Amino acid sequence: MARRERTSVPPPGGAGPSPGHHPRPDAWGKVLGRTRYVGDLSLPGMLHAALVVSPVASARLRSLQLAAARSVPDVVAVLTAADIPGANSVGVIFPDQPLLAVDRVRMVGERLALVAARSPEAAAAAVRAVQVQLEPLPAVHDPVAALAPGAPLVHEGGNLIRTFHVVRGDVARQESRATVVFEGEYRIGGQEHAYLEPQGCLVVPEGRQRCTVYASCQCPFYVQQAVARVLGLPLAAVRVIQTPTGGGFGGKEDYPSEPAACAALLAWHTGSPVRLLYPRELDMQLSSKRHAMVVRHRWGADGKGRLRFAEVETFMDAGAYIGLSTVVAERANVSAIGPYHVPAVRVRTHVVYTNNLFGGAFRGFGAPQVTFAGEATMDALARRLGLDPVEFRRRNVLDDRRRTTCTGTKLPRPVLARQCLERAVEAAARTTPTPPGRGHAVGTGVGLVLYGCNLHHGGQRLDRSSAVVLLQGDGSVVVRVGLTEMGQGLLAAVQAVAAQALGVPPQAVEVCLPDTSTVADSGPTVASRGALVAGRAVLDAVRRLRRRFDPVAAQLLGCGPRQVELAGGYARVRGEPARAVPIAEVAAEMAARRIEPIATGWYRSRPRRFDAATGQGGAYDFYATACHVAQVVVDAELGLVRVVRVVAVHDVGRVLHRPALEGQIHGGIVQGMGWAVTERLAVAQGRLENPSFTDYLIPTASDAPLVEIEAIEAAGGHGPWGSKGIGEPSLIPTAAAVRNAVCDALGIELFELPLSPPALVAAQGRRHPFAWLLDRSAERDGPAQAPAAPSPVEAG
Amino acid sequence: MAEGVRVRLRLNGEDREFWVPPGRRLLDLVREDAGLTGTKEGCGAGECGACTVLLNGRPVTSCLVLAASCDGAEVVTVEGLAAATGEPHPVQRAFVEAGGVQCGFCTPGVAVSGAAIVARGVRDAAERARLLSGNLCRCTGYLAVLEALERAGEASDGEA
Repeated sequence: MARRERTSVPPPGGAGPSPGHHPRPDAWGKVLGRTRYVGDLSLPGMLHAALVVSPVASARLRSLQLAAARSVPDVVAVLTAADIPGANSVGVIFPDQPLLAVDRVRMVGERLALVAARSPEAAAAAVRAVQVQLEPLPAVHDPVAALAPGAPLVHEGGNLIRTFHVVRGDVARQESRATVVFEGEYRIGGQEHAYLEPQGCLVVPEGRQRCTVYASCQCPFYVQQAVARVLGLPLAAVRVIQTPTGGGFGGKEDYPSEPAACAALLAWHTGSPVRLLYPRELDMQLSSKRHAMVVRHRWGADGKGRLRFAEVETFMDAGAYIGLSTVVAERANVSAIGPYHVPAVRVRTHVVYTNNLFGGAFRGFGAPQVTFAGEATMDALARRLGLDPVEFRRRNVLDDRRRTTCTGTKLPRPVLARQCLERAVEAAARTTPTPPGRGHAVGTGVGLVLYGCNLHHGGQRLDRSSAVVLLQGDGSVVVRVGLTEMGQGLLAAVQAVAAQALGVPPQAVEVCLPDTSTVADSGPTVASRGALVAGRAVLDAVRRLRRRFDPVAAQLLGCGPRQVELAGGYARVRGEPARAVPIAEVAAEMAARRIEPIATGWYRSRPRRFDAATGQGGAYDFYATACHVAQVVVDAELGLVRVVRVVAVHDVGRVLHRPALEGQIHGGIVQGMGWAVTERLAVAQGRLENPSFTDYLIPTASDAPLVEIEAIEAAGGHGPWGSKGIGEPSLIPTAAAVRNAVCDALGIELFELPLSPPALVAAQGRRHPFAWLLDRSAERDGPAQAPAAPSPVEAG
Repeated sequence: MAEGVRVRLRLNGEDREFWVPPGRRLLDLVREDAGLTGTKEGCGAGECGACTVLLNGRPVTSCLVLAASCDGAEVVTVEGLAAATGEPHPVQRAFVEAGGVQCGFCTPGVAVSGAAIVARGVRDAAERARLLSGNLCRCTGYLAVLEALERAGEASDGEA
């Protein structure tokens, strides 16, 4: 595997540690098969839960006949909305979604009833025995059509949930200076998270007063709030413990609140522990998806190849309930222009109800879709200007000189978008793939991203973080944080931060998965913020602990408390490393003197101002930039794409844990590549037609491209030692780079995602040799599915 | 007890006897009857590979194998990859060292398939990737996993 990693810019001020390289603390348990996921937990008397869900997308719920289901042997409870003691509501932002349907069904998979039984088989039999009377109602399945007059209403009050705006500069004036205008419409499909561990939770009740929830989740505090709301319990009576979580990617952000509330309701009624594990097919049908979007562009540039204006109108398919859609829209809205200097900008981002799959959080959070469109338009304009796509980007990319974003934020220097572009292009040019044979074409494509780190202004109130640091009498350390490990490496990063701050080896630090009874609400583990905010809270806790630790160490060392420094497992006199005492000895001394060895820590970002009407102001606290260059080989006749190599240059602030950083970039690239090339959600009448890994194709080991990473370390991050966050920027520019590479290879332009083989062949003016197969399946599925092929219009 | 089909097999080096219903999957025997929860269920349809075990030395998706068909067989799960001394399998060590573990849910199946690939002495990287393509992973992009397999293969070549 040809990989090259180097650090290019010297770290700011030379302060801070070298990045961690130690093995992740959770690696051995996982590789030996000893880690217990929620499906591996069971308790005596535990019941198995199952869901009765709607098979249709829009209907009136006429009746539910439960007697037959209740009489199935070993069935303990069959519950409906009438059995909810608290609020029948699970919406994370807006209370438009019931836990259990009352009279109306708005999506396939809408929950109608819940079952608990002594075996999974009995639960399944009870689900089959429930008789449901549904009266079909008109449904709407396209976010643009949903806004037309007379469209079926998903909720009373209209299908338009909200429109977000960016208004900057004078478009008419700038348009008069443009010599080339590109207009196009992009149709961008959704994406299934396909975490390997399906949704699951185990709820252990203590009467009806309190319960403990063990959940595979990203956001235990969301789960806590949902369960408390549904059961009518105080937050303190609902304790949520995150179980080792087998992947999230956003799919375990808001969604786990729903199964947890279901299992908690069954546990509350039965008094028994209840476990709910989703089978894969149900998981794929019910859980949230990356939003499908229609993005319309009108962008113009002048004769010097400078962007003059950009108009973007996006229609986001929220599905039947808001969930996190408005929050996703906030990021999509301000990410629509990318890292480019554009004097006049109009962005409108519409969030629209449909009766489709439920749109939610997915790594990138609305940015990958608009980045795909933006980078495609950059290539389209370059082509019309007769410029090389890289040269066109050079003329427009933000840098230290022009550094104002579309939200009017003047980025602090250094602005590294240009460096990311140049270095990625330079590295990519060192080797180019050779076509493996006749009929194959090779191409190179670029994707750039300006990533707003941490939560958008709209989510600012959630941006805080809690930590507890406990120094044991032997010098080992327990760290508790409110952010979750779902595979991304949070435990390793927090361990590295705590170890560095305390001057102990990483192995001396145990970082625990969150338990809502031990730390304060720390917001969600999303927006690439985990290591950033957890790490900052840990540093704060260490600072407070040292107020008690340093005086003890100073006495042992015979120096002043301010002269104490911690490194290499020792407390030392600053400037005199020979005068040292083991940290374990200081800890033992603290224990002997009964000095409190535990400290809490807190982090919150600075308040920002943002005007939602114009989209101007502090959308994010700080920013990262990245460039991905993809090289592809395309079978022109069959329209098959192979991504052979991706160069990824990221402005990361500081590296906290090198293997975790690389793992995030590798995984983000391959997940983004899957979305671009093979991952198609086949949705018909709101139902997912391909809810399996045979029909929904995520990349395999054979599809993995070579990946080269360059992490640029420089000032600007607000995480520990200036780190920024890598989870999302690792994915965002990938699909754009792949699309642009495919278009480069074939000399075509594509406006849909995923890049389907028939579309690739059709764009070359031919018919796909296997098109007859697709025609036949289209005949079988009926009309009205394929959207009209958009045609780009040139003007000016 | 003593209902259903008797299955005698050698599980992670121990002779074991189970009575199972005729429809029981090898996955359920391993996880529930033997209590070896390292083997995971990711799809129940033979698509993801998280439930991979070695059946008579060959990797199989245990969700598609009937337990009753395993009478007389030798089964190795992720818990049985380590040497009798407790020393982890070279593939397991390589996964930890190369950063091949993230969320860990696919990891047991990947480790079992990886052990089989290393045992076959596959030297071609593309062939190793092809042999691993029945094990889906959504976190790592496979890169560190494939690197780990290469390292483990080199290590076992060195020993031979």
